[in-house]
Amino acid sequence: MSNQKNSHKDDNNATDDTTHFGYKTVAKDEKVSMVASVFHSVAAQYDVMNDLMSFGIHRLWKRFTIDASGVRPGNTVLDLAGGTGDLTAKFSQLVGREGKVILADINSSMLNVGRDKLRDLGLVQNIEYVQANAQYLPFEDNTFDIVTIAFGLRNVTDKDMALRSIYRVLKPGGRLLVLEFSKPEYELVNKAYDFYSFNILPKMGEIVAKDGGSYQYLAESIRMHPDQETLKTMMDDAGFEQTGYKNLTGGVVALHKGYKF
Amino acid sequence: MPQLMLQQVMSAVLEIIINKAVSLNINPNDELDALEQKTLAIKLAELPFPLCLTVNNNKILVTKLIERADCTITTSISTLRELKKGQQLTELIKQGCLDLVGDIKVAKHFASLAEKIDIDWQTELAKHIGDVATHQLDHLNNTIKEKVAFASGQIQADSVEYLVHEKRLVVTSSQISQFNQAVSAVELQTKQLENRVNQLVDRLSTHSIQTKG
Repeated sequence: MSNQKNSHKDDNNATDDTTHFGYKTVAKDEKVSMVASVFHSVAAQYDVMNDLMSFGIHRLWKRFTIDASGVRPGNTVLDLAGGTGDLTAKFSQLVGREGKVILADINSSMLNVGRDKLRDLGLVQNIEYVQANAQYLPFEDNTFDIVTIAFGLRNVTDKDMALRSIYRVLKPGGRLLVLEFSKPEYELVNKAYDFYSFNILPKMGEIVAKDGGSYQYLAESIRMHPDQETLKTMMDDAGFEQTGYKNLTGGVVALHKGYKF
Repeated sequence: MPQLMLQQVMSAVLEIIINKAVSLNINPNDELDALEQKTLAIKLAELPFPLCLTVNNNKILVTKLIERADCTITTSISTLRELKKGQQLTELIKQGCLDLVGDIKVAKHFASLAEKIDIDWQTELAKHIGDVATHQLDHLNNTIKEKVAFASGQIQADSVEYLVHEKRLVVTSSQISQFNQAVSAVELQTKQLENRVNQLVDRLSTHSIQTKG
């Protein structure tokens, strides 16, 4: 497949006024509403599809993120693009009553599904819900000990701006964890992954969520997302220090981590 | 090679098992209140990563967040099995089987919680397959247990009988060897005797010919 080549080509095509929506180049103003319509469409079936698409492995990736977070009782955590609240649920239990977790998502449908799910789990004491754009976080400077963004950064229109915004709201000593699809390390895995993403995944979306188009976008947006090293550089440029990443499942997913000092 | 995420798999499975056991425990889980937001880290010699148990709202989370541990135990799986009673903790530390850093009360509460866990399997099974089927299954289980116990006792008794009495009657290999040597010696002596008798017969026949001549 030539997706990676497409990625570089399209990166060059993007201008100050345009950005990517999957493989399409669209006006920046349009992307927000286009991404919003995708997530409004898939919100109800989001968790089921996550389990199906990843064979449940997304739970291990998220567990790995929690383990890497160094979260302590009393911490304030921002789960950005938190969707249906998998990370929020764990963080809420680990920060305890003195701590606080804010589940933020730009999409109201995802936020509603997440809120209902967490309340059904009995997690109400230390969680707040905020509808927010990652580029313009509505929080004061130096507010959070930890910010996580899991499978959300690739949908953000201006990733550099979002990273700077995250940096601003982190406390000195705080850390950002970005869990996101990335570039597989091995060619064989890459080929199998491409076949799966472009042939099986949209059909799964069509059958289960009655929306193959959104899952076609998912596959395309993953290919358009910066690879491991590029994202690390972007984090460095945003001001993060001691940045690094860990490839999971052969690089299908990578966890990037950076500190604000 | 792609990372297998063994640590995450193990902690996920352990978390499910531990919380299921706690929820099915017929004894009151009082210890959980005392352990709210406390973390016990266990470093096992057999595992390359720590297992950290954090209590929140009567549930136990399994992570590897060792930096938040209130108490860290370094030991092996075999020692951990002995750690069922809180009072054994200090003995194991004295014996050098277990290293403990941090608040010992946290470790004692966890040990006490583990000791108190008692699950009424019959009640749980009846919820899924019904009372009658559970009773029959339990009856079958008891019958099998009795038969196995009887068979095991019988085998043990027979073995003892064989070893104490019958084994003595059986000819040992050294006895067979000794017997074979004795037979060989008799055979040799018989051959020597046969030779002597033959020599004597020859001499007698020679002597009688000379006498006649």
